[in-house]
Amino acid sequence: MKEILKIKVNGQSHELLVKPKTLLLEVLRDHLGLTGTKRACDSGACGACTVILDGMAVKSCSILALQADGSEVMTIEGLATGNELHPLQKAFLDHGAVQCGFCTPGMLMSSKAMLDENPKANKQQIKEGIDGHICRCTGYNSLVRAITDVVKGEYKEVK
Amino acid sequence: MSKYSVIGTRVNMVGGTDKVTGNAKYTTDINLPGMLYGKILRSPHPHAKILRIDTRKAEKMVGVKAVVTGKDTIGKKQGIWRRFPELCDEEILCRTKVRFIGDPVASVAAIDEDTAEEALELIKVDYEVLPAVFDPMEAITEEAPQIHEGVELNINVNRHIEWGNVDDAFKKCDHIREDQFVCSSQAHMCMETHCAIASFDYNGKLTVWTSTQSSYYIQVLLMGMLGMREGDIRVINPYTGGGFGSKFELDSAQFCASLLSKKVCKPVKIVLNRMEEFTATKRRTPMYYFLKLGAKKDGTLLAKEVRVITEGGAYTAMGATALYLTGFFSSFPYKYPNYRYDGYRAYTNTQTSSAMRGFGAPQSTFVGESQLDMMADDLGIDPIEIRRKNGMTPDYVVPGQAFIQSCGLHQCLDKIEAHIKGRGKLPPNRGIGIAAYGFMSGGIFNWFDTPYAFSAAIVKINIDGKVDVFTGANEIGQGSDTTLSLICAEELGVNFDDIRIHSADTGICPADLGAWGSRQTLMSGNAVKMAAADAKRQLMEFAAAKLGVNIVYDLDIKDGWIHLIDRPERGVSYFDIVKAAIRGKDGETIIGRGHYTPHRKGMISPAYSFGIQAAEVEVDPETGKYKLLRATTAHDSGQVINPVGIEGQLEGAIMMAGGYGYCEDQPHENGRILNPAIGDYQLIRSLDMPETNILEIDTYEPEGPFGAKEAGEGLTNPTAGAIGNAIYKAVGVRINTLPITPEKVFKALKEKEKKEKKKKKKKK
Amino acid sequence: MIKDFELFTPKTLDEALTLLDKYKDECKVIAGGQTLILLMREGLITPKYVLNIKRIPELSHIKSGKNGVRIGAATTHRAIEKSPVMKKALKVLAEMEKRLSYIETRNWGTIGGNLCNADPAGDPAPALMALKASVKMASVSGERTMALEDFFLGAHKTALKPNEILTEIQIPSVPPRTGVAYDKFNIIEGTVATAGVAVSMTLKSGDGVCDDVRIALGGLARTPMLAKKAEKVLRGKKITDSLLKQAGQKASAEAKPISDISASAEYRRELVKVMVARTGSEAFARAKKA
Repeated sequence: MKEILKIKVNGQSHELLVKPKTLLLEVLRDHLGLTGTKRACDSGACGACTVILDGMAVKSCSILALQADGSEVMTIEGLATGNELHPLQKAFLDHGAVQCGFCTPGMLMSSKAMLDENPKANKQQIKEGIDGHICRCTGYNSLVRAITDVVKGEYKEVK
Repeated sequence: MSKYSVIGTRVNMVGGTDKVTGNAKYTTDINLPGMLYGKILRSPHPHAKILRIDTRKAEKMVGVKAVVTGKDTIGKKQGIWRRFPELCDEEILCRTKVRFIGDPVASVAAIDEDTAEEALELIKVDYEVLPAVFDPMEAITEEAPQIHEGVELNINVNRHIEWGNVDDAFKKCDHIREDQFVCSSQAHMCMETHCAIASFDYNGKLTVWTSTQSSYYIQVLLMGMLGMREGDIRVINPYTGGGFGSKFELDSAQFCASLLSKKVCKPVKIVLNRMEEFTATKRRTPMYYFLKLGAKKDGTLLAKEVRVITEGGAYTAMGATALYLTGFFSSFPYKYPNYRYDGYRAYTNTQTSSAMRGFGAPQSTFVGESQLDMMADDLGIDPIEIRRKNGMTPDYVVPGQAFIQSCGLHQCLDKIEAHIKGRGKLPPNRGIGIAAYGFMSGGIFNWFDTPYAFSAAIVKINIDGKVDVFTGANEIGQGSDTTLSLICAEELGVNFDDIRIHSADTGICPADLGAWGSRQTLMSGNAVKMAAADAKRQLMEFAAAKLGVNIVYDLDIKDGWIHLIDRPERGVSYFDIVKAAIRGKDGETIIGRGHYTPHRKGMISPAYSFGIQAAEVEVDPETGKYKLLRATTAHDSGQVINPVGIEGQLEGAIMMAGGYGYCEDQPHENGRILNPAIGDYQLIRSLDMPETNILEIDTYEPEGPFGAKEAGEGLTNPTAGAIGNAIYKAVGVRINTLPITPEKVFKALKEKEKKEKKKKKKKK
Repeated sequence: MIKDFELFTPKTLDEALTLLDKYKDECKVIAGGQTLILLMREGLITPKYVLNIKRIPELSHIKSGKNGVRIGAATTHRAIEKSPVMKKALKVLAEMEKRLSYIETRNWGTIGGNLCNADPAGDPAPALMALKASVKMASVSGERTMALEDFFLGAHKTALKPNEILTEIQIPSVPPRTGVAYDKFNIIEGTVATAGVAVSMTLKSGDGVCDDVRIALGGLARTPMLAKKAEKVLRGKKITDSLLKQAGQKASAEAKPISDISASAEYRRELVKVMVARTGSEAFARAKKA
């Protein structure tokens, strides 16, 4: 028996009919075609499916879509403003903190949520902030450097 | 002032903006009209005969469009070592027998994933369970069950490398050590699992989108397994979320999706779940090492004898290469006057062990560097000194095996020595250990039996001066698209932004063996450089004519300016000449062609990278737990083409190699892998990642494009050995098996304590 | 693959209890679902009904009063981690939460969900047991409370009846001169504890004599447990390093660890010795400052 899900994603409101067992990740990727958020494990342990729900970084593979009824979600597709990349996106590129890119959307979502909550995050806090993410390519240190530069104000945000 | 304009500069990776915006469409993100979803039924037994498969219920299920079993194949076996048919032993979709838990037996395509998964439950398979064997030492005994017909004692492959006379040489040694080691397995753990979309059209032509390290290999292997013409198969690598050696062989997702699509002429997508990824793909080869090392008392190494048995798993795959390379790299990076290696790969009823970043060299480096430190300790020689005494030098010849041209090992040793001195006196329970390595830049062997050049490229210059590069090289996150674009831009004398690269689509790119064995920077790079030079020559004809220069002057292009090398202010715009050249050639597009195959470069590789890594650890002696504080690496990768890329490779390698040393493993029991889930599979995350720093070395490799050689794999070799040596320095215990877990360190410390107590008692 | 189920999202606790009473064993309660969804995806749990209590207002709070602190069962780990209530002795809960899994899990997963999952190696249980926490359960018939250590009946088994929901965790006020510390041993940060130890120590005034102590162990038996014999070693005595070591030895003997892919039982026993001594020492230092 499908139920109505009312959810705002990247500023756009949606009304969808979903089965109760549908995961938030499935709504984003399959129902809304937002394939930026990735499925990479089946145990909610890798972070690739991370989105920002009501301001919090959460794993969309471990949330029933209907539990997010009435919520606001940001996915990677909502991070840039118009054709201007977000400072975090620019910093990741400049620091080579992107290689295969599969962990990148989730990593950016957690980074944004982290800096929204704590704009002056120090190195240790940044490491803690991305610890929920496995990256098999970069070795994490370039990610920490990229986020540190954003904290330092090396990149201007487009409002 | 750098003599290069483009290479060596820091650029954003090609494809990077797509990745950071979520626009990059990986295979799993692609949806085609009418697409079906496939799932694979796999054997629950490690060794069994397939008596009967009943798919009727599954076929009748609503939403199921196709079901395939081994009967739907042409009955061929395949493998990467195509020159050796006896090593092409894998059917993928099994017809008569399964050889490991996870071996595919059937596959279903349905309108959605849930339906496909439910349909699998309706397939009834009758097995006759056979006795199984899991330990390679047991597998090679008379009593062990035979895994492949005709393969006596389950010995799949053996390899022998020898020069000099080790038996005589040992007699002349002042000191000999014999040590045993066990190197564990490791999972690639790519963030993107194996996946494919296969689409047959009604003309019998197949297109496959897949996560792969070699579109060409997949094309050719599918050709063989489907009985098709190579040109009727097109393999496209859209974006690939990591490879590390797991994705250049034909896999179950690609093969089953192709078989299913053929039945219904609809696209079929198969994405392996994480458990299948851990248990039914391939993994690093576990190895049992027996090492004998002999030296003079001044530390000169005279002889080394190596014997290895590897746990091969159910099929050959790339395991034969790992067997060979571990024996070859056991002689690196030192000059052994006498050397002997004998390696045996045993079939076992476990997941196949194959290629993983380093390809047998992380194992040989761990065991070799550990033993070398032990030898140094026995002789009372400093670990740096013993390496300096015996380290390879430029233009060294490994007898009968390889020609080393550039070799920066000694500069690396100097840098690391200075670094360690700079760390000063360390607090208690802290230690710095080192490990040295050498690695290949692509392999020379053509056991795949390709008739093509190993790499090829096409460069096309458009009327506005923008350049399209076509290469079969595969971008898997390591940055090859970027590196090759940099090489093309440098050679052609234009800007990085003027290049647009098209890669890894067999329909439009010339063949390239792909991203494995660290070959693309050197081999694909040489092909791209040659193609760019070819296109450049076509422009120069017109430039020379336009400028009317005296015959004694040469021309070159830099920053879009074609100029006299001796008088750079005299020249003409590249953009003007492009227009002139196209008009002058009757409107013909300017196309440059290039290719590369190493010739007369020995048996292994055209060039070798070198390096030495120092790992600093701090041990908690009460629990055995240790922190990886710092990994400092001096490495020689020749001319740096893509500095952002190399830093990424280095730090990523430390994460992977550090994990190999510290915590990663795939233990199995009765053929079942015990930790097939993230959360159970321990690997390094940001909080446990050590500080990393790179010490630059300046060398030039004549064989490589602009002097470059590999960086991706060599850097994965030293960390485990450096960690082992660091722990010894810190708390005086040696662990000879990987991974070096806190429990092992704890046990070793307790043993050491007991021994010391006994000694004290004896003295009293 | 998750099997289909019917989802209820009641707005109040009473509604939830009524539904649960109707469907009992056929119905699974979901709050954060960080474990439940995983089990459903693996097909290990296939409920016909799922009761979503994530946003029921009565179940999410952190209230501090003179009788102690009460935490609603559907309070997220992250809320506890960041709560200004978690200071002084209760700081141990914020510290424990910080080491529990990762931020993304803590943002959505709940303390009640964690306790109901009854993972023998879960982090909250030892820390809460050290604080003498109780749990409140409700059903259509009423409410009842029990000590947390009695709540766990076995690995992944609790005292909850099929029609009961865990509603609140109650922590009594912490006496003066009390220090509490929690430590966990794992190879990689954020992963499940190979061994977890929490110690709460209350001192008599001035002279470093232990008035009361609790030593709670996680991941060292089928359920989180109190190391009562080890506690006896310390209770009423003047705390010294060697006494703490003795307590560690006793705790090690009391523990009933198993061997698994993370560690052998023998190694776990050795870890307990070290961790009880160290964590006890930390609790002692905090008690002196308190």
